[in-house]
This record gives sequence, C-alpha cells and structure tokens, in this order.
Amino acid sequence: MTLLPYVGRRLLFVLPQLVGILFVSFLMVKLIPGDPAVLMLGPFATPDSLAKLRAELGLDHSIFVQFLIYLGKAARGDLGFSWQTTMPVTTDLAQRFPATLELVTLGLLLALAIGIPLGVAGARYRRGPLRAAADYYGLLAGALPDFWLALVLIYVFYTLLAWAPAPLGRIDLSILPPEPVTGSLLIDSLLAGNWETFQNAAAHLVLPVLTLGLINAGPILKMTQATTERMLDSDFSRYAELCGLPHGIIVRQAFRNALPSVVTIVSVLYGFLIGGAVLVEIVFSWGGAGQYAVQGVLNADLNPVLGFVLYSAVLSLVIYLLVDLVYFAIDPRTR
Amino acid sequence: MTVTGSTIPAVSRGAGSFAFFRAVLRNHPSFALGYAIVLLVVLLATFAPWVAPFPPEFADADVFLQPPGWPHLLGTDATGMDVLSRMIWAPRIDLSIAVLGTLLSALVGSVLGALVGYYQSVRGLARLAAGFVMRAADVLQAFPVFVFAIALVAVFGQSLQSIVLAIAFVNAPIYLRLMRNQAMSIRTMRYVEAAWLAGLPDARIIVRHVVPNAMAPVLAQLSVNIGWSILLTASLSFIGAGVKAPTPEWGSMIAMGYQNIITGQWWSSIFPGLALAVTVFGFALVGSSIEVLSDPARRRRLSGRLTAARGAA
Amino acid sequence: MTTPAIEIEGLEVEFPRYGTAPVKALRGIDLAIAEQEILGLVGESGAGKTTLARAIMQLVPPPGRIARGRVRFRGEDLAGLDPERLRRLRGQVMAMVIANPKSELNPLLTVGQQIGNVLRYHTGLTGKPLRDRVMEMLKEVRIPDPERRYDAWPHELSGGMAQRVVMSIALICDPRFVISDDATSGLDVTVQAQVLELLQRLVARHRTAMLFITRDIGITAHFCDRVAVIYGGEIVELAPREPFFANPHHPYTVLLLAAFSHNPRLRGYWHRQGTSAGETGPAETGCPFAPRCVRARDRCRAEAPRLRELEPGHFVRCHFPVER
Repeated sequence: MTLLPYVGRRLLFVLPQLVGILFVSFLMVKLIPGDPAVLMLGPFATPDSLAKLRAELGLDHSIFVQFLIYLGKAARGDLGFSWQTTMPVTTDLAQRFPATLELVTLGLLLALAIGIPLGVAGARYRRGPLRAAADYYGLLAGALPDFWLALVLIYVFYTLLAWAPAPLGRIDLSILPPEPVTGSLLIDSLLAGNWETFQNAAAHLVLPVLTLGLINAGPILKMTQATTERMLDSDFSRYAELCGLPHGIIVRQAFRNALPSVVTIVSVLYGFLIGGAVLVEIVFSWGGAGQYAVQGVLNADLNPVLGFVLYSAVLSLVIYLLVDLVYFAIDPRTR
Repeated sequence: MTVTGSTIPAVSRGAGSFAFFRAVLRNHPSFALGYAIVLLVVLLATFAPWVAPFPPEFADADVFLQPPGWPHLLGTDATGMDVLSRMIWAPRIDLSIAVLGTLLSALVGSVLGALVGYYQSVRGLARLAAGFVMRAADVLQAFPVFVFAIALVAVFGQSLQSIVLAIAFVNAPIYLRLMRNQAMSIRTMRYVEAAWLAGLPDARIIVRHVVPNAMAPVLAQLSVNIGWSILLTASLSFIGAGVKAPTPEWGSMIAMGYQNIITGQWWSSIFPGLALAVTVFGFALVGSSIEVLSDPARRRRLSGRLTAARGAA
Repeated sequence: MTTPAIEIEGLEVEFPRYGTAPVKALRGIDLAIAEQEILGLVGESGAGKTTLARAIMQLVPPPGRIARGRVRFRGEDLAGLDPERLRRLRGQVMAMVIANPKSELNPLLTVGQQIGNVLRYHTGLTGKPLRDRVMEMLKEVRIPDPERRYDAWPHELSGGMAQRVVMSIALICDPRFVISDDATSGLDVTVQAQVLELLQRLVARHRTAMLFITRDIGITAHFCDRVAVIYGGEIVELAPREPFFANPHHPYTVLLLAAFSHNPRLRGYWHRQGTSAGETGPAETGCPFAPRCVRARDRCRAEAPRLRELEPGHFVRCHFPVER
C-alpha cells in the first residue's frame, strides 16, 4: 500500500519545518531582554563567576553556533536544564506534558459530545428554538474568555456549592500520586488499581474539563452545523429526497459527508489547545506544559520554551498524520 | 460566456440596498443585537470620561471590596477602585489595541496575500518569493499562538505598542491565506485574463479586479478577529504580560480580583468578564451578519423568504 | 376513461425576488399522462422542463414555490397529502431518472448501498434478499461485471454507468410513473443510444408511465406515444407521435424540427427564421415566442394565445399556426 512511502515523504517535508520553528523560537527567546547568567546567579554575582557561567552555557558563541549546539544535543535527547526548576527539561516535560494532554483530550471529547449533536440539530431544523439555541451557543462559546469561565465555575461549584475540590492542582496534596506510567493520572491510577486516587484525580478534572469543553464546543458546533447544512443543500441530498428517503437518514448521510471538516477543526483545536489551555492551567494550578512554557518566556528561561515548542510541534505533526489517515478511511475519493 | 475587460461582477456587498439591510436586521434580531453591542462599546470608549461615575484609577482604601450597591453600583475591587467606572474605561484600551492590531495584520497580510496569490502561477523570481512567504507563514502559524504572543511582548518590551504588534503578527497569516486563496481563484476568472490580455499593468488589475471581489470574506473575518484580539489582549493582561495595572483593562481587572473569588467576593472579576464576553460576542455576531450578507446563495434565499414574509403581511 | 397516472392542471411555479416581480418558471401547465403511456416533453434550457419535473414531485427548490394549480397522481391531489405519505410515494411509486448522475450520487456510499437504500427504506428489505434484488437490478440495466460494480464508488464510474445506476435506483421499487429528466444529456452518442434502448425496454417490461424530458426532439421519435413542446413555461404544442412529426403546427416546433430536417419546406423555414436562439428570452406579455418568431404579427405581441385543439388530440398554442 502506498501508506509507508507517503508517511516517509511527509516526515521528510516536516523535518525542515521543525528546524525552522525551533530556530525562530531560539531567536525570539534570545531577543528577550535579560542576561541569563545574571538571572541565574543573581544581582550580586561577581563578574568572574558570570563570565565563567557564560562560557559554560556556551553564550560566547554566535547565535547560529549556539543553535547548532542545541540541535545536536536535542537530537541525542538532551534538551538542557531549566534554571527555574533546576531540573532537566525532559524530566519537567515528562510530568507536565501528559497533564496538559489529559486535560485537553478530555476537554475536546466533551466539546465533541456537546458540539456535534447540537450542530447536527441546528442544521436539521432551519428555524425554531433548537436552531436558535445552537446559533447563539456557537457564537457565545467562542466569545467567552476561558479563564473567566473557569473563575465563574470555581465560584459556583466550589465557593458556593462546595461540590468541586479546591482548584489547587490535579490531585489533593494529601494523596500520593500513582506510579507514573503514561503520565495521565486517570490511567495510571487505574493501572495501579488505586480507586481512591482515580476518584480524586477525576474530581479535580471536572471543572477544568468542563471549562474547556463548554468553550470549544462552540467552534465544533459551528463547523458541524455549517458543513452539515451545506451538505443538506447539495445535489445528493436533494436527490435522496427525490428518492423518498426518510429525512432522518438524509440528515445522517449529510453529517457523514461533513465529517472531514469536523475532523479538521478538531485537529486544529487540539494543536491550538496544547499551548492555548495555559490560562485554564494557571487558574487551576494544573502544572501543565503551557504554563511551563509561559514561565519560561516571562523569565527568559530558554530551554523550557524550546522544549515545549519541540514537543508541541511533534505532537501537531502526529495529529496531522493521524488526521490524514482518518481522511483516507472516511473518504473513498482520497484513495 | 461573454468576455468584457472592464466588467466587474457585482461586488456582493454593494449589490444590496440599505432597505434590504434593514429588512435583514428585522428578520435576524441576533444581528441587530450584535450591531447594538458594538455601537455601545464604541460609544463607551469614546465618551468614557463623561459616562463613568468615578475616575478609573482612583483608589479609595476605605471602601475596598464593597459588594454592588450604592454609590458603587458594581462594587469595588481590592484596592478600592470602582468596578463600574473601570469597566466603562476599559474599552478605550482594549478596543484601540484590538482594532489597531487587527487592521495592521489585515493590511500587511492582505497585501502580501494578494501579491502571493496573484504571482503564484507566474514563473520566475516572483514565484520563488511567493513560495518563501508561504513557508514563512506556515512556520508562523505552527507556533502555539499564545506562547508566541507572550514571547513577542517579552521581546518588544511590555507596552501597548508591543501588544498591538503581537496581535498583528499572530493574525497576519490568516489574512495572508485568505487573500491568497481569493487572489488565486479570481485571477483565473475570465475578466481578469481579459484585462491582462488588454495590457493592463498588474498593479492595476490587482487593485481594480482582485481586491473588490475579495473584500467580503476579509470584512467578515475582520469583525470576528477584532473580537478575538480583544480576548487575546485580556488574556495577556490576565497573566501579567499585557496591559499593566492600574490601567483599566478587562483582563487585568479579572486578574486582580482572581484571589477574591475563592473567598466569595466575586464582583470585581465576574463583571469585567461579562463585559468582555458580551463585547466579543457582539463582534462575532457582526462578523456573522457580514458573512450572511455577502454570500450570494444565502442572500437569494433570504430575499425569497423576506418577500414571502412581506407578501403574507 | 380510466384515471390518468398523472394529471397536471394549471400548474404555475414562481421564484420570488426581493423588491421586484417574481420569476414565473411555469405559467399554467395542463398535461395528463395515462397509465403506461410515454409522453415526450421537448424544450430548450430554461424553458421549465426540470422545474416541471420537480414540481410534479412536489420538490421545487426553495425559494421557488407552486403558486397555483394542481398535480394529481392517480386522482389524488399531491399537494394535499401529508409529508410522510408523499415521501413514501417518492422513489417507490413515482420515481425520477436524473441527468448528471455523478454529481447527484452520494460520494461516500457505494453503488450497491445507494441502490439498496432506496429499496430498504421503502420496503424494509435487508441483508441477503436486499443484496440479491440489487444485483438483479444491476443485471437488468446491463451493467458489466455487476459483482464488482456493487462495491464501486461513484467517482469510479463512467457517465454511462452512472446513468445505469441512477436508472436502477429509479426502477428498483417498481414504480408506476417515472420521470426521465434529460437522462441522456452529456453522454457520448453511442452510449446515449444504449441508454435509450435500455430505458425503452425497462419501461415496456415494468409497464410504467413515463414523462420523457429532453432537449433533443429527435430522440422522442423513437418511442414516445405523444410529444409535447414547452416554451417559456407553457405547453405550446401537444400531439400523438405521428401527427406531431408529420404535421407540426407551432412555429417553434417547426424550428426545432427544421434544424435537422432534409425536408425542403422545413429547410426554407429554417433559413427564413435564422438562428436567433439565446438572445431573446420569452416575452412577458402576449405570445412568449413572439420576439423570436418570423411569423409574428401585432396580435401576437398584444394577446397571449390559448391552447386550441386543431385536430383531434393535436393541441397548439398559436394565433397563426403553421399549416401543411
């Protein structure tokens, strides 16, 4: 099958893009005002120790050489240290990236569960309360600031109703996290058979997942509705009507034809949310990857930022590849 | 199909009349709501000094964290500043940053996009340049948007101008792609070929033929983009990388009241967020209305329904 | 006299426009098709053929609507039926063979699935009996290699094959009435001949009544029992096949026939008329054909002619019909 060479060709294409992205990130962080040596050693450091640190960090080479050195190390799996956490970036990300992934994945699943049915219903009924609700929700959801919705939910469900746990991270401080296998607390606690940890992690996930889900359902709803409606207006839908097929079947087929667009927008949202969920992460003290990168930028800590960009770029690639495979599966015209 | 060099197909937006526009609004109350919201926000931004009951940065330590009531209708925040007044002053900053940033990105992106789309199929240096611009745009768009924006603000130093620039950078690729697609499809239309055959210079063709017909999707995108840029500004201010306190800005207001929410003093964060959401919602509605008005197929259906409604009345 | 299969009375279809008068696609059609009769309908693009076809099925695309008139199927007024009953009639009892099948077949469903769907949702048949019936139909329309074609995707089909698929869809439920809307347009001439022959055979075997719509007047000579001509949303001539071709009365009909005729009288007419096709649309007042007619006189522009029976069964809408 032509799949393997196709994947190979894509990877080839993608490698220079990856290097390009990394280089631009490198340049940008370097441009952020602030001398890393001073930032690390503090304002009272002696000029000698500063010079020594700079030489150690390789800061006396040119930008290009520094970048090449970084690339070389990265290829070997060494993404450097974060001077804020004093840990290797790979270790930091191994903990934080899955946290974000878990959150974003669950959030998008919720968004799909809300957005698709509403979108299809909106397309099916040209007017009426269901359609109006779908239209308004689609626009409103995209307008809500996610950090604000998070605060509202916290206020209602934690402060007022005390149903949700305190927004202080992924799990209660008093509970021991399970053995990290995948990094996802839900999966890991299930694997360890620890029901109490699972429940606690799930409880902490409710509000942030709800926030992401409610907001991202908006674009999914709009895309589903718009595309399904377009399919309902198309020639083959009219033909199906001519053949006397039941209306429900026609709507179902129209949705099936709209699926590629829905897949597209989910993939776009996924890529966006890896960095875009940072505000929700901050509000809930989630300890996610986006937060990590933002701290890096605000403190001119280069390695975390580069590490994050690398991880998220690779993830985006994997997603786009998967999406192409999905297209292959659902649309015979691509084969 | 007859080919006449100077025939420009009716620019979809221009083919309507104001009466049609009003009829559309009447049939789609949601659009009217959108325009009303945008109008209100613009008015507030313009007349804030005369409308706000208190000076926005006046902190009266005696009345901090007062719940909504009199004389502070929406309460006060932790430093004693009046929430309502600050909410009224905030659009000045948010709107100007968002509009400037979006217009800048639209201008740069559209011009580049039109050029790239037009010269895409021409051979030689222009095509290479076009390819390079597209690859650069790809790289730009591959960035996690938020991290990119923060990095830009950090690079340019935290100031209002750098936020505008950040917004411009982040949004330019959208317009680039939009205009490029439009330019590529319009360029292949007969009347453009006719103009080219007639010897019109490229610049003239682009300005007279390509641009007017590409306007509609760009306009719809502009409105939605402004709304989104307001959100981005507020988000940046929320984490402290945007507008600095005590300048009134919705995002930074939410950040300031953040800790208080957990202890139950919700008004200093919730109200600004509400204003933010409603404003962005208004811009989104306006964008949606432009989209409907400029899509010929929907206009046809709309006009049919309107006439039927008129006839039945 | 038995109830005709389809009876159309004074059918008017219009498309509203904002701020101006609506476009009248059909201006009062009167037509009746008897059981097992094949009626040919000839007209140029824009004359209203497809609009008529869709109006009969009660599926005029919005914002168009049926302004006046009635369509009766076996005596039942279709407009008065509830939507569910109407839906069950469509595809099962009244079917349509369309033009441009490749753009109207669902690109994500196989041939077998699409043909099968119509049968399944109308009769509830599933599984093996369903598949067998579809296979039977594929063989009846003479699709080569039906086993393989059953799983083919629409984009893999040639024009002629897609047309056969669409015919299968129309006929699989054994309908009593079929509309063939320009089913042979866009096909190569040899394929066209095959498709026509197939259509003729199927209609004869299933004993369906048919409205055969086409732009090509020559085709109707093969197998239509009666022929009608539509111009500007009106029937301008209607006659049984023999008198229609032997003695056409309406100037437009004569023009259509003259274009391909060797008959010197008709060729003479053709040269006098010229090729004024396409530039003038049908007139709003008076006879719609007047702007293009060499025989037009003042009365034609002022007064719209009505359908008159010149000879038994031969109707013409003209003030000054062409005589022998």
